[in-house]
Amino acid sequence: MERKEIFAVLNAIFEDVLDLEGGVDLTDETSANDIEEWDSLSHIQLVYAIQKKFGIKFSSLEIMKWKNVGDLVNSLEEKLK
Amino acid sequence: MVVNSINFLLFFAVVFIVYYLPVSRNNPKFQNLWVFLTSYFFYGLADWKMIPLLLGSTAVFYLLGWWLKKEMNNNHASTASRITTLGVVIGVGILAYFKYLDFFAEQIASLLNGIGLHITWTTLNIVLPVGVSFFTFKLISYIIEIHREHIEPCRDFISFNAYIAFFPTILSGPIDRPYKFLPQLEKVRAFDYSTAVKACYLILWGLIMKMGIADNLATGVDRLVINVGQYSALDLILGFVLYPIQLYADFAGYSNMAIGVGALLGFNVTPNFNYPFFARNVADFWRRWHISLTTWITDYVFTPLNIAFMNLQKWGVIFAVVINLVVIGFWHGANWTYGFFGLYHGLLFIPLVFSGAFSKKKKLKAGKFGLIPIKDLSMMLFTYILVAIGHTIFRAPDVSTAFNYLGSMFNFSSLTSISDGWGMIIYAVVPLILLIMKEFVEIYHPKFRVMELRYKAVKYIWILFLFTLWFVTQNQDSSKFIYFNF
Repeated sequence: MERKEIFAVLNAIFEDVLDLEGGVDLTDETSANDIEEWDSLSHIQLVYAIQKKFGIKFSSLEIMKWKNVGDLVNSLEEKLK
Repeated sequence: MVVNSINFLLFFAVVFIVYYLPVSRNNPKFQNLWVFLTSYFFYGLADWKMIPLLLGSTAVFYLLGWWLKKEMNNNHASTASRITTLGVVIGVGILAYFKYLDFFAEQIASLLNGIGLHITWTTLNIVLPVGVSFFTFKLISYIIEIHREHIEPCRDFISFNAYIAFFPTILSGPIDRPYKFLPQLEKVRAFDYSTAVKACYLILWGLIMKMGIADNLATGVDRLVINVGQYSALDLILGFVLYPIQLYADFAGYSNMAIGVGALLGFNVTPNFNYPFFARNVADFWRRWHISLTTWITDYVFTPLNIAFMNLQKWGVIFAVVINLVVIGFWHGANWTYGFFGLYHGLLFIPLVFSGAFSKKKKLKAGKFGLIPIKDLSMMLFTYILVAIGHTIFRAPDVSTAFNYLGSMFNFSSLTSISDGWGMIIYAVVPLILLIMKEFVEIYHPKFRVMELRYKAVKYIWILFLFTLWFVTQNQDSSKFIYFNF
């Protein structure tokens, strides 16, 4: 799956889970600091939804390492190979 | 040496002068060395016997950090995990030994006695090293953050010591995280006049909060939990309502002073409070109260649990939240009251998780006439009552006293009598009203903050007024900071 396609899917998941009415345009640098609705609780809901959508599972350490969406997408690309 | 003492003023004057001397002003390594030496001097005055513990544990974690990084670089993931676990075990072990061993052993002994096995446990009378709850948390955070690839190991042992032993915050926090603090040690901290003015303003408010509000309230409030039966319902209700304010003024007052002193040395210390009594529900309250502790436990206890319980959806979150808050409770000490306090708050989260109010963070906005909207105000008052109940459990010497206290507030026959001994709280009234007004303005009308106004004369008059206020209202029997006990 192309990186651009992954971002498109993630945008949709974020909009749905975080209830972002105005939509969102995620980039590699986007982090929880940039989106008010993205906190420790919604983070897990996001990860759950992403795992379900892509049919993969991340390890705890992987999840805790991510500093921004770019890191998340890198892990996702690794899993999808 | 407490922050609000003449001795500290003298100590800090020396620290400040040498720190900004021409020889050290442009040399971060010299500044760090000076922070390290003065921090150990400061700690030695508080608890010199524990210097080996502080220095030793700092050295162990410094080495662990480098060993961990080496294994991570060689892709030995399971070894790396084991080293991190070792670090956590050592850190928690230090805390467990000093803080909880006696309590834990006594509980086991009474349990065994209860089933007929006669065991005696002579209390070891282990003395709690000053600041141990705070510096062990910094050390544990350090090793975990290296493992999570959020920081690199510290290159300089002196700087690392300066971070762990940092004297403004070693006794009672705030708990600075390595990724925010260590980078600051790498740069020169040049003196900045406007930062220094803001720092002094913060320290002044800290003094007013601690000595003008908290210490004066304490004279009437503290005695109530010692002998509940002696007091009327009115006494107990007054204490119930005032204690959260007293605790806030004491701890936030101290935190402000610590942050202010740190700022005078050019450091940006992490905040501890964000207007907690303007919280509209308990979840919001915990995002505003003792922030450096709750974010620490959220990052290292809640998040891993939350991930582990992911498949249990909202029930998983609830388990993680309850465990999180019980841990926060017990962090304060080895007493069932602290565990109960945590459990109580954890259970209060359940309706919030189900309703979704757990995470919604609507900004506070002024309503009609620029005041707090009625709906928000009533939620704040309701939250305050819930918090006050928890704080009664928190401060009681044991659980039965806590329930006795809460129940005795409903002795309607004694609602009209009041004990002597409330006299001193009069001194707290003006500072408290000013504090509430200050916080209200800062949240709802920040453009009207006195320190933001253009007229210098107004600022000077205000500062002079505050200084006089502190001088007039400060309680001379200034008691120890409440959070020195943790």
